[in-house]
Amino acid sequence: MNAIIFSALAGVVMMFSGIFTKNTSIITNVARVALAVLIAVNLLDTYGGWMIAVDTKNLLSFNKFGFFFNTILFVATFLFFVLSGRDIEKVGSYTAEYYALIFFSLCGIAVLTSFNNLLMMFLGVEIMSIPLYILTGADKKNLKSNEASLKYFLMGSFSTGIMLMGITLVYGATGNFNLPPISSAVTGAVVSDSIIGPLGLLLIFVSLCFKVSAAPFHFWTPDVYDGAPSVFTSFMATIIKAAGFFAFIKLFEERSSDLRVSWKIIMPVIIIATLLAGNITAVFQQSVKRMLAYSSIAQAGFMLFVVYANNNSIGKEGILLYAAAYSLATIGIFAILIRMKDYTFNGYNGLAKKEPFIAAVNTILLLSLAGIPLTAGFFAKYYMLAAAINAGGKSVLWLVVIAVLFAAVSVYYYFRVIQAMYFKEGDAEVENVNNRFKFGLLIIAALIISIGILPSVLLNWFYF
Amino acid sequence: MSAIQILFWFLSGLALVSAIMVLISKNPVHSVLWLVMVFFAISGHYILMNAQFLAIVNLIVYAGAIMVLFLFVIMLMNLDKTSDPQKNWWMKLAGVISGGCLLMEMATLVRQAAEMKEKTVMMKEGSIGLIGNLGKLLFSDYVVPFEISSVLFLSAMVGAVVIGKKN
Repeated sequence: MNAIIFSALAGVVMMFSGIFTKNTSIITNVARVALAVLIAVNLLDTYGGWMIAVDTKNLLSFNKFGFFFNTILFVATFLFFVLSGRDIEKVGSYTAEYYALIFFSLCGIAVLTSFNNLLMMFLGVEIMSIPLYILTGADKKNLKSNEASLKYFLMGSFSTGIMLMGITLVYGATGNFNLPPISSAVTGAVVSDSIIGPLGLLLIFVSLCFKVSAAPFHFWTPDVYDGAPSVFTSFMATIIKAAGFFAFIKLFEERSSDLRVSWKIIMPVIIIATLLAGNITAVFQQSVKRMLAYSSIAQAGFMLFVVYANNNSIGKEGILLYAAAYSLATIGIFAILIRMKDYTFNGYNGLAKKEPFIAAVNTILLLSLAGIPLTAGFFAKYYMLAAAINAGGKSVLWLVVIAVLFAAVSVYYYFRVIQAMYFKEGDAEVENVNNRFKFGLLIIAALIISIGILPSVLLNWFYF
Repeated sequence: MSAIQILFWFLSGLALVSAIMVLISKNPVHSVLWLVMVFFAISGHYILMNAQFLAIVNLIVYAGAIMVLFLFVIMLMNLDKTSDPQKNWWMKLAGVISGGCLLMEMATLVRQAAEMKEKTVMMKEGSIGLIGNLGKLLFSDYVVPFEISSVLFLSAMVGAVVIGKKN
């Protein structure tokens, strides 16, 4: 509850900070401090230190998994603010409002990590996404940004409509919005073996697939990620997507048995379609930004494994690890991309000669996304596949093999960037590289490698 | 047939016909006016179900505010000429087939559902839709979502200002 209340308050504080000062670097620093306090408050909540007593009437349920997920996402956002704060200031003339919207989005995430009721899930998803529609269109003079914003808004509204229809049908079948289904004996008149409930759950499933850009509901992703200002793409592709997965897991670990369509049929289809759509299309991209958009679809395909293997502890550990590894690496790569003059692969030509440190960090992050051992990405992918095997045994081996093959495909397009940086001649231009930026990159690279060597450190912390 | 049943069938028919007219009218302004008709018919249904508050809110918010906004947008964008871009024939076919599949599936499932057999709708029953009860529920059991939704509206407002204001 602390995180929900405080992130909303921080958003209001950010709005007011725009009145008192026009100096954008002060506003950025206020945002960083507010986020640091938010992390601290959330940590206090995790260990029961300080909590505003709110009787949530069982609409929200807080547990360690959710708190820990909050912490990971907030820390990733903090690093995002540290690395890309300068670039948020440059998007437009409403810096304070952009930060306020990001804090509201974090409030939605905090709701999504603790919902215990479909009503709260709906509110959380909406609070998380509405600020994004605006952030996507923040670059008002850029036609592509406008188009992306409108497209995102329209598609998002449709998916919200589908989700509401689903929630309505579930309510019609069970008579309440609670997440753990109440047995029909309690509710009396309600028939438990109704077909309406599964139909509703299927509609919610579709709309959540849209939110995490799983195929075949991924068509908005490349256009929106490409059109949005790069800083906000970085935020959307990482933190928001991970939170969407959390909602997905939380809902379907309780309800997947109610969805009478066999879970073991529907999930592999979605997983393979997502991996295929993301990886194969990413191979053909010329722009690194667009390649990262498709790569985010491909990574979503891996994260879907945890939804497939729902309700098992390896999966839960895995999604924590995956959220951390994927968010950190992508935030770092985007932070570098934003400062490149040319967003195409050729724009990276010869970066290693000019900025050896940045090229080295970029290489580590790309290796992590590709899932090479000794980086966090390897263990993240390992845990995902282990969770699937743990849930399905030998019968899912084929699915795991396909996933590994697609991971090998992904190596191709990640290594194209590395190849351009190290083995091609050219004069890549990076703007505004200062020591603080390099220090932030160093922290991210260090985190990626240390999680890659000792994933148990992060996971053990989860249990204490 | 009692008066209530006659009213129910009349309103249902009106809602369905108006909804179809929304889709097939060539003129967008006519479409919007038919949509207003749909909202009126649905509000009538709410009153039949003893949910007066919902009926009034539906009229004020949808038929009033949102529809006026729709009309403004259509008139400002000068869309009243019938200028629909020709869509690919295959796209149309694919749309009809996939949409039709979903419709058929949902219709069959809902028809088979046990709750739906031999029932139309509960009328004149329950007092949950009365404003007093609704208010009590909103400020007791559902106070948390009620408060949290303020964040949603706040962010929407901030967004409207950010998008709408001159740079």
